[in-house]
Amino acid sequence: MQPTPEVVLAVVFLPFLAAAFTPAVYRLLGERTAYFAAAVALVTLGLVTDQYLAGAHGTVSFDWIPSLGISLAFYVDGLALLISFLASGVGVLILTYSGGYMHGEPGQAKYYATLLAFMGSMLGVALAGDLVALFVFWELTSLSSFILIGHYTDEEASQYAARKSMLITVSGGLFMLVGFVLLVWASGQTMAIEGTTYSIPLLIENAGAIREVLTASGLFVPVLVLIGLGAATKSAQVPFHVWLPNAMEAPTPVSAFLHSATMVKAGVYLVGRVRPLFLAENAAVLGDWTLIFAVLGLLTMTVAAILAVSATDIKELLAYSTASHLGLIIGAFGFANSYGAEAGAFHILNHASFKAALFLVAGIIAHEAGTRQIDKLGGLRKHLPITAVIAVVASLSMAGLPPFNGFYSKELLFEATYYAAKDAGGIAWLFPAVAVFGSIFTFLYSIKFASLFFGDEPDGLGHVHRPPLAMLVPPAILGALVLAISAAPNFFIDALIGSVFGDVSPGEAHSFSVHFPTELTPYVIMSIITIVAGAISFPFYDRIHDAINAILRGPVRANWWYDNFVEGLTSTSIAVTPKIQTGLLRTYATWGFFAFVALALGGYAAAGVSLPAFSGFSVTLPIVLVLLVALVGAFAVDIAPSHVAGVLTLSIVGFMVAIFYILADAPDLALTQLVVETLVLVIFLLVLDRLPAFYGDAPDRFVSLRDGVLSVAVGATVFITVLLSTNASPDPLLKEFLAARAGVPAEHGPFFADFGGGSNIVNVILVDFRGIDTMGEISVVVMASLAILTLIRMRGRGETQ
Amino acid sequence: MSRSSGQTTVISQTVARIVVPIILVTAIALLFRGHNLPGGGFIGAVLAVAAFALVYVIFGLDYLQREILGISPDGSGSHRLVESYRWMASIGLAIAVLSSLAPLAYGLPFLTQGVLFLEHLPLYGELEVASAFAFDLGVFFAVVGGLLTIVGEVGNE
Repeated sequence: MQPTPEVVLAVVFLPFLAAAFTPAVYRLLGERTAYFAAAVALVTLGLVTDQYLAGAHGTVSFDWIPSLGISLAFYVDGLALLISFLASGVGVLILTYSGGYMHGEPGQAKYYATLLAFMGSMLGVALAGDLVALFVFWELTSLSSFILIGHYTDEEASQYAARKSMLITVSGGLFMLVGFVLLVWASGQTMAIEGTTYSIPLLIENAGAIREVLTASGLFVPVLVLIGLGAATKSAQVPFHVWLPNAMEAPTPVSAFLHSATMVKAGVYLVGRVRPLFLAENAAVLGDWTLIFAVLGLLTMTVAAILAVSATDIKELLAYSTASHLGLIIGAFGFANSYGAEAGAFHILNHASFKAALFLVAGIIAHEAGTRQIDKLGGLRKHLPITAVIAVVASLSMAGLPPFNGFYSKELLFEATYYAAKDAGGIAWLFPAVAVFGSIFTFLYSIKFASLFFGDEPDGLGHVHRPPLAMLVPPAILGALVLAISAAPNFFIDALIGSVFGDVSPGEAHSFSVHFPTELTPYVIMSIITIVAGAISFPFYDRIHDAINAILRGPVRANWWYDNFVEGLTSTSIAVTPKIQTGLLRTYATWGFFAFVALALGGYAAAGVSLPAFSGFSVTLPIVLVLLVALVGAFAVDIAPSHVAGVLTLSIVGFMVAIFYILADAPDLALTQLVVETLVLVIFLLVLDRLPAFYGDAPDRFVSLRDGVLSVAVGATVFITVLLSTNASPDPLLKEFLAARAGVPAEHGPFFADFGGGSNIVNVILVDFRGIDTMGEISVVVMASLAILTLIRMRGRGETQ
Repeated sequence: MSRSSGQTTVISQTVARIVVPIILVTAIALLFRGHNLPGGGFIGAVLAVAAFALVYVIFGLDYLQREILGISPDGSGSHRLVESYRWMASIGLAIAVLSSLAPLAYGLPFLTQGVLFLEHLPLYGELEVASAFAFDLGVFFAVVGGLLTIVGEVGNE
């Protein structure tokens, strides 16, 4: 069934609309705004469910920029619905939880408004059916998360974290945009598509043709890398994982939302979305796609899992673990076989369920125990019994232990790596090896998290409060979800994941099933190795933790690169600024003129223009006289002893130009030149008595020489420009059109709008044919005057300092 | 800071008294005849500003403000006249924008200019009314206001 346009539009824009009203609602409801926001999320969830139950599949499209072929299109399919379910469903729980967690925190109106906008952006990303719409929503998630991560605006760490996530994710998005543009270009090159298209479903439909164009032009790998950069920065893949742990500076519900259902899932979603576009049905086992995404994903999975073991803070541990699990999904999508798509599709749901639960548990621990340091926590089971149950269930699922749901998707990944290795042989055996190696660390940190609830209480731990109901129910629901998926994985696969699997893999059936292993297959052995190795090494957790931290020094850390890069940029700009911005008009003029000459001459050279042939002077005597006077004036300017004399002689040149215009039959230009010249002269005279009599010290020889050369160069450039532009006469059609349209038509009624109706063609062009230019110009005049007003007034008040 | 009258010669003051009204009338004439002859909003505006600038150079802004326009200084050091210029610029811009929006009401594209012929008028006979004139008037006021703000504020320094 086609999706209902109104409902899809409501799903995306209802959260934004609610966000706009949140400040007003906050005045009415105060802290209970959380429940208003949760209700909005619930309505959104209801709308998504409505589309799901109706079996919606297809595109709804609204005109946006029709002249460029860009539309506000939404594409509803299994993948879009799954991500929408996660964003809105987890959104309900997170917003409810916030009602308890954010009690007494500052800036709540902003918090809820941004969280709603965040949710809306994510829904937009999930449902976008147009590359431009996708990009816009994509960057909106970056913007809203910037505000959320930097929620505590006064704290240095929040500012750092917000900047970092913004810098990394937004710049990644820009790379992605370039990739999109290349895709659109490719769509224009193929016969399969009429014109160019931004439509994602249309691109996927013609995937084969697009791939051919890209491969033939050698752009296949560049486009993969560009789009991959967008996905990798958003989904915190190595080496861009550095922003994710810092993002925990945000209030915990935000972290939970960010890490489980929204922002970081966007990258995974993108990889899934473009997978059928780049991966042919009979793709090579180790094609470009696999080499890029499987390697990136497995590398991230392993590195981030190791980093998670090195974490000392529970949120940091979970943050690295998120990066690791996203690596798992991206790696799985990277494999060309169907197991990869199954693993990725299924793990999106599994990861969201257990990671959101764990983050909310971490929030409870931080809120009620007052610390997030792993070595200061232990034995929490006695104080937080219900939380302990949730944490254990979710941790075991995260560890990939049977019979929990995380096990099934991890098992599918093992299958994917195993078959890829078996088919490709040789070095491809590294895939299963790395997958197992990374999973051992996953096992270790998962068990470590669960162990916080067992063992002895450390001394420093004070009294641990019970969490309020609003904080307990959401993780409990998520925990129950984990149990439900674990108990009946095939139900969820049939209901949700099967169609996702079909959407991310070309030409596959929309279903698959998992089952508890009953025989000893190679991938079951991989699971057994993981669990046994993990169990054996768990007693040495602290030693492993210390060892990793000992190795992670200096350039080994991606953070080191980020910090040094940003630091280097800052110090470079601080060093360079005084050289460029000297505060002397003279410096700016020099560089401005230099840039003008270089750009103009460079442009001419690049365009390969040739100067028109010289055809002798054909000027009349009066023009020669006028030009001679102008020449004398120009020399007089150079030897003028004072500013006043200089300005007066300069105006000789100006007036001679005006007379030249008159002689050349351009009365409009001459009139303008005359009045402007007069006004400029008067303004000069006004300003002059504030200036020193002359420059004072004569500049040194080098400066004089440089200025002389520069002025000759500027003059030459202008000369060449005039020669070139007068040589290239405009399109005669345009001239004829304007001339024919300017006057009053021979036959006309009392009113007409298609002719200018004036006999002065210049003014008719200014106010009628090119009225929008004129409007822009007068806006500039008004703005310039306001700018001068502000500058001068503010200087008087000393506010420019 | 600002000049007062008396610094300039009697000759220049006398000339200005005669010339400034002529310039202003010429400026307005340029504005009106712009549709059919050289002239128009921009040129007219620049000429009008030149007239004001002349008054300012010769008599000073204080004189212009107090004696001609009858505005008393507000004591903050800046001229209230400059505020009026700013308003004039904004109003000019508003006229231009509104006159360009008007065609939308008749289902024509933004910025469409039309021409209306009024016939059988006393004295004039037939009169051509171009809606472009409203736009030109907007240009005139925007440029006059903008340039006078600059001249007034720069000269005030």
